[in-house]
Amino acid sequence: MNAQRALESFRAPDEAATQERTWSVVRDAYRTREPVRRRRTHRRLLLAPAIAILLAAVTLSPAGATMGRWIRHALGVPHAAPALFKLPASGSVLVSGAGGTWTVAADGSSRRLGPWRQASWSPHGLFVAVARADELAAVDPHGTLHWTLARPAVHDPRWYGPTGYRVAYLSGHALRVVAGDGTGDHALAAGVASIAPAWQPGSDYRLAYVTRSGTLVVRGADSRRIIWTAPLPGPARELAWSSDGRELLAVSASRASLYDAAGHSIATIPASPGAPIRTGSLAPDGKTLAMIRGATNQDVVVWNVGSATTTPQPRRVLSGAGLRQLAWSPDSRWLLVSWPAADQWVFVRVAGMPRIAAVSRIARQFSARGAQASAQDGFPSLEGWCCTTSGTAG
Amino acid sequence: MLFRAHWPRAYRAAFLIVHDHAAAEDIAQEAFVQAIRRLDRFDRQRRFAPWLGAIVANRAIDWLRARTARRESGQEPPETAVAADPPTGTYSEEVLAALAGLSPEHRAVVVMRYVLEYTPGEIAQALDLPRGTVNSRLRRGLDALESRLDKAEPV
Repeated sequence: MNAQRALESFRAPDEAATQERTWSVVRDAYRTREPVRRRRTHRRLLLAPAIAILLAAVTLSPAGATMGRWIRHALGVPHAAPALFKLPASGSVLVSGAGGTWTVAADGSSRRLGPWRQASWSPHGLFVAVARADELAAVDPHGTLHWTLARPAVHDPRWYGPTGYRVAYLSGHALRVVAGDGTGDHALAAGVASIAPAWQPGSDYRLAYVTRSGTLVVRGADSRRIIWTAPLPGPARELAWSSDGRELLAVSASRASLYDAAGHSIATIPASPGAPIRTGSLAPDGKTLAMIRGATNQDVVVWNVGSATTTPQPRRVLSGAGLRQLAWSPDSRWLLVSWPAADQWVFVRVAGMPRIAAVSRIARQFSARGAQASAQDGFPSLEGWCCTTSGTAG
Repeated sequence: MLFRAHWPRAYRAAFLIVHDHAAAEDIAQEAFVQAIRRLDRFDRQRRFAPWLGAIVANRAIDWLRARTARRESGQEPPETAVAADPPTGTYSEEVLAALAGLSPEHRAVVVMRYVLEYTPGEIAQALDLPRGTVNSRLRRGLDALESRLDKAEPV
């Protein structure tokens, strides 16, 4: 066989399908590209250095930087703000780490709630369920303790929405449920994997969790009746319901799967070979899915999953080594990405005009030791970005 | 128009170099996005295809090297990602198998010459190689390919 002819006539698999999949990504890239202004006249040439300095000042500032500039493999976004002066959207961010649990209001003010290791907002931001080694508790956004419950190895508390009448949590590998006022604590299931359970919003207390054998279960917390189950392709990393309770996202390293409320698979997004999915998060409006994927370097990609009739198309909004967690703003327009390796939080606007803003020295800001903090104190975990603006009402 | 005219070859070239359809799609997609972001700096006197092809080929070679390095250092992720849905359509397994015997560098040169239709001079420029190296890789690559394809052919 003639090698030259064989190569010339070669056709790759799925050429047409890949073209269709890629078209929207390329079209978006074209629409959001930044045209470079060409210098045309001698007079403009003389002005160029001054204009360049001005442009650099504007475009390199966090407010002026745009997403396209920072889609690259670098450690941290350059010119990050040295402190968290404000959030780019309303609401309050909940953070936990070695320095305890903190809330951050939209104006940038932060408040330490206590020496808790994990936390979760109540549906309206009126309370926070907090956990440490052998204790579950409810506090308000001022840190005032409302009730506590002693249980071994407590982790991953989650508050039921929209009423806040139940809190689910894990105690070792047991899934337990307690009423929102701290009464009626009971075990619901044993042999549960160590990932946070997820309440189906607006349901009659239906809870999704994953067993240690890798089965996704949706179960009535009060009736104890199993509603449906589905096998997962690998260890789950994240469970999340859309805010209307109509879709459940299950993320594992190899794929992200969307189920409808009856347990039917409605979409599957497989990981690319060599690029396992680290985490995923559905926007509060349920229309956009964000994921961190990649082995050594990671990408944050967003998918429009609002139209169930078409295959969702990915859009990469940030790349870097060591990206860890995601949190959506309450209005679904901003994505907060934690980047421990760069000691940064990166805010990426994914709706409307793309925009990016970064804040550095995050570990120090949420360390109990303040300015004496070091990298050994660890990087705080994002626990959610909730609905209130002041952390006191909602 | 630009996209539709150039996508098949870009994706085909990436696939022939990396032999992984999902990775090839990613590589070609990233190459397009990168090219679009640099479009305003593109010298319109030049041909677009060789410029895009150079990005594709270099990214594909980088991807292969990174994968080899990860395997050698044992840094493959503990949970291996499941491959995307298997591709549909017909394509020549013989050509793929024959190419698999070549090193990434030889493979890239052969693909750039006979799939992307680069001249040896353009390949040398794109891969930052001496012209003589390109010619020798082309000759050796093509010889090896012919010999493997001949063996694969039913008697």
